[in-house]
Amino acid sequence: MSAVAFDTLEERAAGLAREKQRGRRLRFTLYAAVLFMVAWSVKVIAVDDTDWSRILGASLLSTAKGFVDVDLSIVGDLWEPALDTLLMATVATLAGLVFSIPVAWLGAANITPLGRFSYVIGRFLMTMSRSVHEIVWGLIFVSAVGLGTLAGILAMAVRSIGFISKTIAEAIEDVDPKPIEAVRAVGGTRFQILIFAILPQVIPVFVGNMIFEWDINIRRSTILGLVGAGGLGLVLFRQMAMSNYGGVTTVILAILSLIIVGEVASHFARKAVI
Amino acid sequence: MRSERIPGAPAVPAAEGATRAVLQVRNLQAGYGDKVILRDVSFTLNDDDFFAIIGPSGAGKSTLIRCVNSLAYPRGGEILFNGRDLVRAAARELRAIRRNIGMIFQEFNLIERMSVMDNVLSGRLGYMGTFRSLFRLYSKEDIRQALILLDRVGLSEHLNKRVDRLSGGQRQRVGIARALIQNPKMLLVDEPTSALDPKIAREVMGLIREMARERRIPVLCNIHDVDLACAFCTRVIGLQDGVKKFEGPPDKLDKQALHDIYAMEVL
Repeated sequence: MSAVAFDTLEERAAGLAREKQRGRRLRFTLYAAVLFMVAWSVKVIAVDDTDWSRILGASLLSTAKGFVDVDLSIVGDLWEPALDTLLMATVATLAGLVFSIPVAWLGAANITPLGRFSYVIGRFLMTMSRSVHEIVWGLIFVSAVGLGTLAGILAMAVRSIGFISKTIAEAIEDVDPKPIEAVRAVGGTRFQILIFAILPQVIPVFVGNMIFEWDINIRRSTILGLVGAGGLGLVLFRQMAMSNYGGVTTVILAILSLIIVGEVASHFARKAVI
Repeated sequence: MRSERIPGAPAVPAAEGATRAVLQVRNLQAGYGDKVILRDVSFTLNDDDFFAIIGPSGAGKSTLIRCVNSLAYPRGGEILFNGRDLVRAAARELRAIRRNIGMIFQEFNLIERMSVMDNVLSGRLGYMGTFRSLFRLYSKEDIRQALILLDRVGLSEHLNKRVDRLSGGQRQRVGIARALIQNPKMLLVDEPTSALDPKIAREVMGLIREMARERRIPVLCNIHDVDLACAFCTRVIGLQDGVKKFEGPPDKLDKQALHDIYAMEVL
């Protein structure tokens, strides 16, 4: 009998079963470890750190009731901040757009003026704008220009550059090369190629994304009240500070209606352009 | 220099009056990397010529046309346009040369989101400065010319339509008007009919020939359809694998000549 004959079908099946069992044991050990980690985290973060007397006592219910009791008496005072929020978002989006054009020009591989060098600068500016949170931009601009709507507008404008310029740059990289060839063939300059062959192709992307960013900026401007940037955000945090939970709900509802209005407006604006 | 012909090249019978060489291509070579696209192609185009360049796909027809206005860069040889060497022209001079060469494209290459009128007027960009082109300040004369041309190509009812709403034949007519408003001294035409159906194709070829004759503009036209080439051109150049295999009037293009040009094709 040779060694090969010894390795019967039964022998091989038993070997495979042993292997499988080992694999199963390893898997269950891993599951147990993960489960333990989760339970431990929950205990440390949530169980030990939570004020249980508050949740189990009567205050939870009364607080929740406070939020449900919508305070409509402040509605009259919300019109002006709502308009502020809307204007902040609009101005910030337009400013962001203006800043985005040169950044997109640098960061679009096919038209960047100084090759790899300017391309990297453009892409770096885009990433920087996006990787810093709007609240952080807000804090930076508050320390630079002081409290108020200007800081909020600048924060949103700078934060908007990342998205707008990136999508424009990508649209520029994806343009149909045929009109470019046509403008070159009639003796056009690089600038004329930009204006006549590239710009008409990216305008729909341009406008569509600007409307989208405007929509986002309405949301952002409400949060930027936190750093004193005015608008509905400021009212929200004031109501919160006064523990007027009914008022907080009213402001949240006002923000919601503003966003819905923005949503509807952007839907029609996009349809008109594209 | 201007009226001289390449030694050995067959003379073209003059239609009326004296002919003049507009384009002289000598030993043109093109390619990229290890790939050779054109080898030593030479010919002369006179002001009353309508040249058809025929040949199988990949023969280098498109590259040849694109070398003539430097949309593709040749590796060697000379391209003399009215005596000026295109291959060695600097950027500014090249633009000045290009505005004298009209080009009609296979896929029309129109600016899709602009109107018929704006597309035609974009043919004047080579004559305009940065400021005027930014605000689309076309001169009255340019607009007058555009109206005349659009009337001539039969599009006067579609002036303000966006070109993406037009049919293929109409789009190519916009392309023709755009090339002619440049007031070109030569027309380069790259497969003008392959995106069109046969009837429209003949109409478009007829229009190009008519308008070129009226203005005494020579035409250099790539075309893969041999019958269409013979019906409209005064002279045929046959390319195969980057080499000129044939040059002569259409009636000299017999079975043997066609076989030489298309020998590599599996029929």
